[in-house]
Amino acid sequence: MQILGINIEKISDNLWEIPKHGGMLVPGRIYTSRNMLEGSLQNDEAIKQVINVAHLPGIQKYSLAMPDIHWGYGFPIGGVAATDLNEGVISPGGVGYDINCGVRLAKTSLQYDQIKNKIQKLVENLFKNIPTGVGASGAIKKLPPHEIKNILRKGSSWAVENGFGTQQDLELTEENGQLKDADPELVSSKAIERGMDQAGTLGSGNHFLEIDLVEKIYDEHTAQAFGLFKNQVVIQIHTGSRGLGYQICEDYLKVLVQAEKKYGFKLPDKQLACAPIKSDEGQNYLRAMRCAANFAWNNRQVIMHLAKQSFHETFSISESELDFQLIYDVCHNIAKIEEHLIDDKKKKVCVHRKGATRAFPAGSPFIPDKYKSVGQPVLIPGDMGRYSFVLVGNEKAMEETFGSSCHGAGRVKSRHQALKDAKGRNLIDELTKSGIVIQAKGYKTIAEEMPHAYKDVSEVVDIMHYAGISSKVAKLKPVGVIKG
Amino acid sequence: MPYKFIEHTADIAVEVEEDSLEKLFASACNAWRDAALINKKPDNTGSKKFIFTSGSLEELLVELLSELNFQLYAKKWIYISVKNILLEKFNSNYHLAAEVFGQPLEQSSVELKEEIKAVTFHQMNIEKNGENFFTRIVFDI
Repeated sequence: MQILGINIEKISDNLWEIPKHGGMLVPGRIYTSRNMLEGSLQNDEAIKQVINVAHLPGIQKYSLAMPDIHWGYGFPIGGVAATDLNEGVISPGGVGYDINCGVRLAKTSLQYDQIKNKIQKLVENLFKNIPTGVGASGAIKKLPPHEIKNILRKGSSWAVENGFGTQQDLELTEENGQLKDADPELVSSKAIERGMDQAGTLGSGNHFLEIDLVEKIYDEHTAQAFGLFKNQVVIQIHTGSRGLGYQICEDYLKVLVQAEKKYGFKLPDKQLACAPIKSDEGQNYLRAMRCAANFAWNNRQVIMHLAKQSFHETFSISESELDFQLIYDVCHNIAKIEEHLIDDKKKKVCVHRKGATRAFPAGSPFIPDKYKSVGQPVLIPGDMGRYSFVLVGNEKAMEETFGSSCHGAGRVKSRHQALKDAKGRNLIDELTKSGIVIQAKGYKTIAEEMPHAYKDVSEVVDIMHYAGISSKVAKLKPVGVIKG
Repeated sequence: MPYKFIEHTADIAVEVEEDSLEKLFASACNAWRDAALINKKPDNTGSKKFIFTSGSLEELLVELLSELNFQLYAKKWIYISVKNILLEKFNSNYHLAAEVFGQPLEQSSVELKEEIKAVTFHQMNIEKNGENFFTRIVFDI
């Protein structure tokens, strides 16, 4: 098949390969369907970006893309690449500006019938307690630089130490909510300043907090291990490292643009600027990036605590009656040093996940004890009008995708197109009629984020499911949404 | 209009064309403003001077626009216009000095439109297009 003049060969119904050509060091592989290839992928640069990533020095096996692939900068969104620790590079373009953008899923013991008459009030309380929108600030008092640096070192632990959660929350967060070897001294004063009033804020764009009910269970055994049951009320939080993370990426992109020249790399896109992992430039970026990752975990931890308080405020019930508990927290914009099987040998590599979720299987030493028998929860938000999914990581992810799965639905319409499509419609009314209460800073965000601006996330997760990378556990239906 | 916004699936892309590099940089700043703010004709109440040095024109433009981002989201100070742009190449580096006019956000009637996470290098290539200079800029939102 030819897409935009690029030859793409079918490996299976759900996996397609771009043969190595030109300056590509490895082939490209895209988990997708013929339908998607001939549809939304015809319209943007994402496939070219898979090819570009294949030029990165030290890349291993394949330049990969998950089924929610769409046009990014440097890497496509949905891109995964592992690079050799000795010969390979690290690229901020493989992480993105919103370092450790991610998703957190928390459960309650409540069922839909118990909250349906008070969803409006719950949404209002969530919106009141959690700062949202462009440049949102002030969830907790403005923190001085030394306290921000503590967050950058400690991640979610900072929140727990300051009363925003429990020890168990840390155990149920990827990396326990704290990447080691984070060095705040490598973070600029500009980045610190951007973070000073943003801990515990949701932000804008596609970030959200959603109240969902568990609509369908696909895998009873795994759902039980995750603590999920039909009609249960759960919440999802989607946000990242806010301005602090954007600034760190920006600061180090400048450094790595120079490093690319210094080390004589010639890459097809400046946004793929990179440095050898072992170089000072590469190590400094990694250590600063880990600070942003820690800030993001702390951010979601604080927001979850504020959400829990909002439930108490709305329903006046005891801790034990609410039984509000974190299920899991995953990041989907990150670079991490992990061990994977390459050419039948275990090898440490730097896995870049840009809009891709870690999906480790049962038995992995890197997932919480309570999930070791089933595998890691993989959280895939959809759009605010349809559904989201909880998946579980499979062994095949370790064999094929460096333990990675998709991260969301992926946009198909530009914001401009979404605004045009929303003209003359009352989206709030439409959502209300389908049982979803929404509150946002402005109608424009609702229009830009309208459900059909995104791919149908069920098509995305089905590809991962049938490819055997991650399996469906539960489907969530939104009933309340707050957005920036 | 020296700049026009073009379709982009996930972010904001703009094409800028001007008959000098200085004007190209000024129009890029105005495009950033139109992407980030709902403009209600605010008054200038102050100015700030910025000086940057970079190895390429693209890096210089990203530096300038990123500074506007920082001023807005960290300093809560909004950019309104730019004057007196000086741009020169010296010792293989490009140097830029600019006086940027604006006002504190809290004194302004301007509303924030989009949170621009960053100014990207993606597809940015400052080049001659006939008599004019041209570039595309993608803002990550």
